Amino acid sequence: MLKQLLLNGAIIGGIYALIALSFTIIYRTVKFFHFAHGVVYAVGAYFAYAVFSCWFLVFSEEGSYLSWIVAVLASVTGAGIVGVLIDRLVYLPLRRHKAPNLVFLIASFGVFIFIQNLLQLIYGAQILTIRTGPVKEGHHILGAVITDTQILILVVSVFLCVALWLFVKKAKLGKAMRAVADDPLAASVVGINPERIILAAFAIGSVLAGAAGILVSLETNIEPTMGMNAILKGIIASIIGGIGSIPGAMLGGLFLGIAENLGIWKISAGWKDCIAFAILIVFLLLRPGGIMGVKTQGERL
Amino acid sequence: MEYFVHILVITGIYVILTLSLNLVVGYTGLAAIGHAAFSCVGAYASSLLALNYGVSPWLGLLIGACTAAVLGVVVGAPSLRLKGDYLALATLGLGVIVYSVAKNWMAVTRGPMGLPGIPGFSIFGVQISEVWSYLILVAVFVVLTYMVMRRVVESPFGRILRAIRDDEVAALAMGKNVNKYKMLVFVVGAFFAGMAGSLYAHYITFIDPSSFTVMESISILLMVVFGGMGSLKGSFVGAATLVILPELLRFVGMPSSVAAPLRQMIYGLLLIVLMLKRPQGILGTYRWK
Repeated sequence: MLKQLLLNGAIIGGIYALIALSFTIIYRTVKFFHFAHGVVYAVGAYFAYAVFSCWFLVFSEEGSYLSWIVAVLASVTGAGIVGVLIDRLVYLPLRRHKAPNLVFLIASFGVFIFIQNLLQLIYGAQILTIRTGPVKEGHHILGAVITDTQILILVVSVFLCVALWLFVKKAKLGKAMRAVADDPLAASVVGINPERIILAAFAIGSVLAGAAGILVSLETNIEPTMGMNAILKGIIASIIGGIGSIPGAMLGGLFLGIAENLGIWKISAGWKDCIAFAILIVFLLLRPGGIMGVKTQGERL
Repeated sequence: MEYFVHILVITGIYVILTLSLNLVVGYTGLAAIGHAAFSCVGAYASSLLALNYGVSPWLGLLIGACTAAVLGVVVGAPSLRLKGDYLALATLGLGVIVYSVAKNWMAVTRGPMGLPGIPGFSIFGVQISEVWSYLILVAVFVVLTYMVMRRVVESPFGRILRAIRDDEVAALAMGKNVNKYKMLVFVVGAFFAGMAGSLYAHYITFIDPSSFTVMESISILLMVVFGGMGSLKGSFVGAATLVILPELLRFVGMPSSVAAPLRQMIYGLLLIVLMLKRPQGILGTYRWK
């Protein structure tokens, strides 16, 4: 039982880590809570659903490799475009006004509500599932059961996390992103255009959120409200890992996933959210820097 | 006609919620986004007392409001140490926690099935059941809330609140116990939100967790911001506009599967436009910091 819970925790933790990471990439450059990120992730899932259901209508086959490639490409680019549009249409004017953080957060709530209900208007409030062929029995590994889909989720999320980490450490654009995260003014002095970096951050972060959206929709249902839970968990994971830290976001996601799953060992599954927020509040009060102990700006905490 | 009066009653309840949140957000500058949690606690406390122990709704209203105020203390003590967007997140978290307790504590709240058959108010042994009488009742509570809020914001206490909002360090330097005042105002806000929740429960006679979601909290915040931060009149304007306006969608014959998301989309768009063009709201005096 314990092994199974740990494994389930690691799988959901991988997804949380991916969401937290994609959120962190954006947070580092703009320094406000991009709450609407959750709905970008939902958009990713819905794009995948749209491609699969159209594919089924046109070719009446499901689960072919080509449909997979098209669906992944569509939802990843779709999410990326939505994320960039949010930045250009809402956040950019706010940046020009030099709006305070809270204004960004509330505008972000507005974007979130708008897109979530747009999804509901188009697809209805009901729960949808992506059909990916027949259900197969899971593998038994070390006393726990894992399905093919779960292995895929685990592998892809670990791969994306590591790839992003390397990108930020090694690539030229990644280094520029770190420079802007540390000090936008100094970065612009050495010829980095912060606006372009912010654009890149929104594109990369949103693409990753879209990827997380597809991964989740393989395992669970899609519904318009799915983004709320995702972004709340993503933000909690980022804060308990250390806000703005990339390894922190990964550790925080994993920690949160495992903690939630161990928590429901003794109590019913409905209490997951309570556990997550209880952990958040404990961290905010006792260790605001998170696991990685990042320095938080004194004026804000 | 009855429907129109019903909308007015609901508007009145939202005016109470908006006034009380405006005291916290607009006058004191605390970004608290979990107001539905307090009205949830107030509603459930007085409904459960009435259903299980036959407690009169009048007493239940008071106890419900006090329970919400106690929750205000419990939540305020740790979270008011946080500032700005972190406070917003912590209070949002409170909203999620209270909602999920209402949804999962089956033994007490019956979870998603909700609590049906909550008794209404009665005066001298006569049950109030007509919408008109509820309109008068809610109007009395709205006037009461407004008078209390006006007293609060015009008193020296209210001046300290605005001082905290405009410059916390300066208020601290003037020897004001900033944390104590923040706590007090948070508790007063929670008390009135609990009262509004209890009024709602006894009026509708049915409650379930879906009336107290995070979205609900954000809607109340929108009413405060739309009407005007730090303006009591603005709270009337904000609540009335945002409750009555979406009802027009129903009048043009839109089915509720379209009207419900459309209403939320309008709310979302309004929040964005307000933040871009007029972050202090229509009659507002205070801008976010």
